[in-house]
Amino acid sequence: MTHEEIMEIIRRIFRDVFDDEDLEVNDSTNSSDIEDWDSLEHITLVVSMEKEFDLKFDLKEVNALANVGEMADLIARKLA
Amino acid sequence: MNEYTYEEITVGQKESFEVTVTDEMMASFCAITGDINPLHNDSDYAVSKGHPGRVVYGMLTGSLLSTLAGVYLPGKRSLIQEVKIKFSKPVYIGDTLTVEGVVEEKHDSYSLIIIKVTIKNQKGEKVCRARMQVGVED
Repeated sequence: MTHEEIMEIIRRIFRDVFDDEDLEVNDSTNSSDIEDWDSLEHITLVVSMEKEFDLKFDLKEVNALANVGEMADLIARKLA
Repeated sequence: MNEYTYEEITVGQKESFEVTVTDEMMASFCAITGDINPLHNDSDYAVSKGHPGRVVYGMLTGSLLSTLAGVYLPGKRSLIQEVKIKFSKPVYIGDTLTVEGVVEEKHDSYSLIIIKVTIKNQKGEKVCRARMQVGVED
C-alpha cells in the first residue's frame, strides 16, 4: 500500500471519528490543528487504525509520532 | 466488587446483574438531575401519552452502565471513556432489568476494552443497547 493510499484511509478514519466530512487531513496535520483532538479522541484514532489496518501499535512508537504523515509511514513499515 | 486486571479479561467474557426500578430511584434521579419532565413525574400525563404509567428516565436505565463497568466488568479498575447508547423500548417503574455486558474487543496499546451491553426487562424485551469503551487501570 502506498503512502497516499494509507493517507486516504486515515482521512476517512479522521472524518468518521471527528464526524466532519470536510475535515482536511494531510501529512503535516497534528493535534494542534484539530480542536477536538484530545487524549480520548487520540485513543479512538489509534484503536480505529489498529482495526482498519489489522495491526498493533506499541504505545512508545505512537507517542513518538509528530504528525499524521509519520503515522502513515509507521503503518506502511508495519504492513511491509 | 470484581477486580479484574486487563490481562485477566478475555474477549467473550460476560457479566450481568439485575435491578428493579423503584419510585425511590425515580425520585432520587429527579433530585440529582432536575429533570421534572411530566412523562417521568406525572402519571396522568404519561397515561395520556399512551403509557401504562410514568416512564423511567432513559438516563436512569443508562446509569446502570456505570454499575456494570465500575462493579462487574472490569470492576474496581474501571475508567469509562465513551458510551454509545440506544433506548429501544420504554421502561416502567417496577420493571426488573437484567444488565449484561460482553467483552467484544481488547486493545492492548491503551489497556482498554469495548463492552457490548444489553439491558432486558422481565419479559426478555431489549430496552437498551449500548457499546462502552472502558479503560482498565493498573
